[in-house]
Order: sequence, then C-alpha cells, then structure tokens
Amino acid sequence: MTSSRFRVGIVGWGAYIPVYRIKAKEIARQWGFDDRVTDSIWIEEKAVAGADEDTVTMGWYAARSALLRAGVNPGDIGAVFVGTESKPYAVKPSSTIIADALGISAKKLSTDLEFACRAGSEGIRISVSLVESGAVRYGLAIGSDTAQANPGDVLELTASSGAAAYLVGPADESVAVFESLVTYVTDTPDFWRRDGSRYPAHGEGFTGEPAYFHHIVSAVKMLMNESGLKPSDFDYAVFHQPNGKFPLQVGRMLGFPREKVLPGIVTPWIGNTYNASALLGLAKILENSKPGQRILVAPFGSGAGADAISVLVTDKVLERVGKAPTVEELIARKKYISYAEYAKFRNLIHRNLW
Amino acid sequence: MKTYVVGSGVTKVDRHYDKNYLVLIDEAVGKTLANSGLDASDIEYLVVSTAFSESILNQADPSTYIAQNLGFRNVKALTVSSGEVSGAVALDYAHALIRSGKASRVLVVGFEKMSEYPSWVINKVYSKILEYEVEGIKNVAPSDYAALIMNDYMRRYGVSRESIIKWSIKMHENAVKTPHAQLQFTISADSLSKALRISEPLTMLDSHPTSDGAAALLLVNESVAKKAGTTPIELVDVESSVNLPIYLRDDLTYFSATAAAYKRLSSRNGVKLTTNTAINVYDTYDIYGLLTIEALEICARGEAVKCVDEMPYLNVGGGLKARGHPVGATPLYQVHELRELMSGASWVKYDGDISLAHAMSGPDNNAWLILLKGWV
Repeated sequence: MTSSRFRVGIVGWGAYIPVYRIKAKEIARQWGFDDRVTDSIWIEEKAVAGADEDTVTMGWYAARSALLRAGVNPGDIGAVFVGTESKPYAVKPSSTIIADALGISAKKLSTDLEFACRAGSEGIRISVSLVESGAVRYGLAIGSDTAQANPGDVLELTASSGAAAYLVGPADESVAVFESLVTYVTDTPDFWRRDGSRYPAHGEGFTGEPAYFHHIVSAVKMLMNESGLKPSDFDYAVFHQPNGKFPLQVGRMLGFPREKVLPGIVTPWIGNTYNASALLGLAKILENSKPGQRILVAPFGSGAGADAISVLVTDKVLERVGKAPTVEELIARKKYISYAEYAKFRNLIHRNLW
Repeated sequence: MKTYVVGSGVTKVDRHYDKNYLVLIDEAVGKTLANSGLDASDIEYLVVSTAFSESILNQADPSTYIAQNLGFRNVKALTVSSGEVSGAVALDYAHALIRSGKASRVLVVGFEKMSEYPSWVINKVYSKILEYEVEGIKNVAPSDYAALIMNDYMRRYGVSRESIIKWSIKMHENAVKTPHAQLQFTISADSLSKALRISEPLTMLDSHPTSDGAAALLLVNESVAKKAGTTPIELVDVESSVNLPIYLRDDLTYFSATAAAYKRLSSRNGVKLTTNTAINVYDTYDIYGLLTIEALEICARGEAVKCVDEMPYLNVGGGLKARGHPVGATPLYQVHELRELMSGASWVKYDGDISLAHAMSGPDNNAWLILLKGWV
C-alpha cells in the first residue's frame, strides 16, 4: 500500500516524557544481570510513568502540545486515534477521554488502535488518508504507552513510558509535508501478550533479524523504490528504537551514515516508549530541523509491520517549536527513582487493599 | 569389511527461523546424494541422530518421518539419541552395520533445531546433558562447569585469561573461510573486556552459539566405494570412554575419557596425532578445546595455548565455537569438514593421511573419537 502526495502535512506535534527515571544498570543489578548488558544494547536510563499517570494522561499532554503548536480550533478536528498497547481500560476507548479533555467536537471519528509499537503511526497514515480525501480537515494521531515488561526479563531494561502526538492537516498549514508513505506488514510472531497474560512474551533473537530488521529494511526499500529517493536525499533518518543499538544497525544496513541517525535516537535516555518511540525521535528532529530538510521516519511494530514515511520540512516549523515543551527539554527534566519506587509506580507490587 | 564415506552434505549453521527440521534435512541429504553419485533408492539404512528432538520438537523417533519425507520407501530407519555425542554414536552404529556385512549403504543424518524457543527454555533443555538428579535439580548449567574448569586451569598452570581466548580467535578466523559456519566474523582479545559474562570468568566469546543445522554422511562398504563417483574417505575406527562424575575427579583439567579413548584408538591403529594432523574437536567452550588437544597428547599439559598457533588443521570449519553446534548434527559436520579437507575441497590444503573427529558430552563426561583415512 502506497501513496505519494504533497497536499497533507504535520500541522502540529507534541511530546510527553514522565519526569521519573530509573538507571538501566540498577535494573540489571536488581536481577543479577551482567552490568555490560546495558552497554551491549545501549540503554542508560528509562522514563517511568508516575502512580497517577497512564496512557491517557500522557497522550493528552502530548496532544495538547500538538494543538498549541498548530493553533487550530479543536472543533475542526474530525478524527482522533490513539495507538497504544497499554490501554487503561481493556474495554472502553482511550481516544474519547483525550478528545473530550481537549474540547474536540463530538462530531468525529475516534478509536484506539493496536499494532504493538506502530499503531500510533498507523493513526498517522489513516489521518493522512482522511485529510487527503476531504473527509476531515484535521486528524489527531497519538502514540502513548506505559510499556509493560516481565520483571527480570531483559525487556525490563528498556520498556518505558511516554507519548507523542501529531496533528495532520492541510499542507499549506504544515511544518512538514508528507511526500511518500508506505507500509510493510506480515504475520511474524516476534512479540505478543496473550489475553489474560500480565506481561508480554518475545522470541529474543527472533525479534531482531526476521522482525525488526526485515520489516524496516523492506519498508524503507519499498519507499526508495517507489519514490526514487536515496539515503543521500535525506538529512535525517529516524527508526523505531527498542534500544539504542538497533536503529544504528538498521541505518547501517540501509546505507544511512551514523550522523543522520544519531540525532533522532532518544531511547538510551528515556527507554523504549513503544508507540511513541520513533515518533518522539521524529519530534526531536523537527524541533532542530531547518526548512527544506527531508526526514525519513520508519516506525516498527511487532507482529509485525513497519512504515516508511518521507516528510519535507517547511519554514513554518521555526515559529512553532517554542510553543510547547520540546523533547530535549522533557528528556532533561528528570528525577531518579529506586527500583522499589519504580516497582510501586508501575504496579509491580501486589498487596491486599481490603 | 571396511567403511567409507562417499558423500556428505550440510546446511549452513544458523538460526533457521523459516525452516523446519525436515526442510533442513532435505537440503543436506540432497547435497549428499548428489556428490556421492548414489540414488535414494540405493539406501538400505537411515540412521538419524538428534539430541533434543523430543524435548524441543515434541517428536519421538523422527527417523520415521524423515524417511517418509525423503521419499524412502523400503528403508530401515532408526533414531540414535545420546546427548551431545549422538552423531558420533550414530556413525559408530552405521560403521558397525557395514563392518558386520549387515548393510552396504547407510545414510547417517544428524540435525538439531535449537532456536525454536527463547534461551531460558533452550538452556534448560541443553542442561539435560548433565545428570538431572545431581546437577539439574541444583540448577547447574554446562557453562558453570566450563567456568570452574577454566579457573582451575588458569590457576594450576599460570595461564592468563587473555591467552585462553586465542582459541576462539582462531575458530572465528576459520569460520570466516567456511561457507556453512554460523559466526562468520572475527573477534579480538580486546573484545574480551566488553563481552557479556555467562559464568565468571566465562564470556559469550568463549562459548558456542545456539544453532540449527542438518548434516548427512553416506557410508558404504568397499565394493560400493570403488564404484562411487567421488574419492572415498575411509572411516577407520570409532572409540569412546566415559569419565567419572566431575565432582569425583582428582583433576578437573584432565580429560581422562578423551585420553583413554585416544590411547586405545592409537595403539589399535598405530597412529599418533601431531600438531600437523587434521583434527576436529569439541570446543563447546574454548577451555574444552584446549584440554582436548592436551588429552589427545598433541600438546603437553598446561601448554595448549602455545600449540594453537602451530596447528594449521585444527577445527578448520571454525569448531563448535564459530561454526556452531547443532548438537545432534555436530559430529557429522566435523566429519564432513574433514572429508572436504582430505579431498582437497577445503580452504586449506592438507597432505596428511589421517584425521580425527572428537565429540564429547559436557566436560568430557562421554568422549568419542572417529578416525578417518584417505583413500589408498
């Protein structure tokens, strides 16, 4: 599935990263891992949602920032999508809560999407189609997660919390316009959580080569073939980042030099925010980009699928960066907590409550 | 009656997520038959080797289904499962069939699929090579013994940690030149400090990887060998011995089962191994490779690290360390690599008359030797 257009773009974007951080080495020590495991995947620390935070609160904050930057009337937003794999309610949409809290009109499409870590980018793709078709003027796509990991699993070193939001709308109002969007999806069971399971399971090495790398490489190559673009045409490349190492590795495989990939990497300092992972990387790039620069963003979701999206930055980006907290400001704003506090915040301690 | 290897074939050792064991075997057997000049209908016996098919694949006696999948209609099929030495035992059985005159054409197939589950499951399965009621219930893993033995060896002989890694460095260099090897990259002593610890002082750089693979060898008697379309290699002899439990051994650094098997094999066949003999030994952990070349009397006790550089035909395929260790197939990979070496198909030229494959379960718990000789 592919589309190529210059009539739709990103009108506003926003990010949220919880203030709490836990050092990856503290988690490693907690479970008796070799300290070097954190270096081997490049993870320094991860963001932890507080006891009163969840996918909805974080998603709301990021979406509010996107609206502040866009400066649009919430009543003109015709679609709200929340991509998450950590919904506060098993049955009951998160998107409706966020939309109402933002004052978005009841006349809208609104749903939660699930595709591991790429449901948020699927929300962007759907929003692009809706705006392109004229069905809505603006579509709001949010990726938000309080990612779960089985305590003691290597996944716990990275699984974190955060949110990113993108308001999609007409190109002439946009900070970046969509040039080309493709998606590559197969049935690849690399990571899953069965109904009733508290934590997800994963296939270790199987999450790498046949899943992450195969899908991102396939999606990006598809985009290159269909658009005629080459790695040298891009100023930045942002990939899904389950850790710090994978995006650099997949960048190498695709021929992107390290200096084009590094600026979009955020995971080593905040962890893998799942549905916000690549989208926070894109936000950080947008906040530092210059008009005319071209950005490749390639989110990945287990199960498995990857998107490859090419955007061209416009001159409107400069005036909107300062209207809401930037990713770098949110990364810098932090408070370290212990494993015990993290366990309490993430509801890993079970007690009787009468 | 003598036994000859007239065909062999292997798959690339890898994590074959997209191929089941039957597909891997199909590829290995196809190559074997193609280079032997014999036809599937010529096969009398199918001897299958696997260590963990019941645990990992939930498949008892896979030989039946392998025979069916290969289209073998009128063949005698059986499975040999004897832990890490399954492949060597399967070859001994095939050798006995031919020596006794009971069969003239025996296809030996070895395989393992180790990447079917996450490592905590596979590590538990692999640990079954140790004694469950002694080590298993106490959570002792094979790598724990390798770490203990490495420590003891370093202390006893004043060998440095950095010199032990020379073995692994050589194995990776050999694997780079071996198309079917799993870990086709070089490593250096500098990597040691960053390598993940498995069990102090053992690191990932000292250990074999998790591997899938299948290998096949076609064993025939002399009259069939003479008509084969390829230069046969003689499978001269197989010898083995069982060691004491590790906790009853006086010296952890002496692989006495390997040594005992070698003494018997050596005196029966009048052969002596030197640094210039092609050998293919089990190096599940690099320290085991070093202890094995000492037990085989190629190097003096405590001197193995000095010999490694002087052995041009040592594990030319990269060893278990870098070629990989698809357990039930590993001894067949070893013999295949020696066959290629002796027939001039390897990346290095070898003029020697004999070669030796060594397999063992755990730290020398059960050691097997297979002596090969060029066609005369």
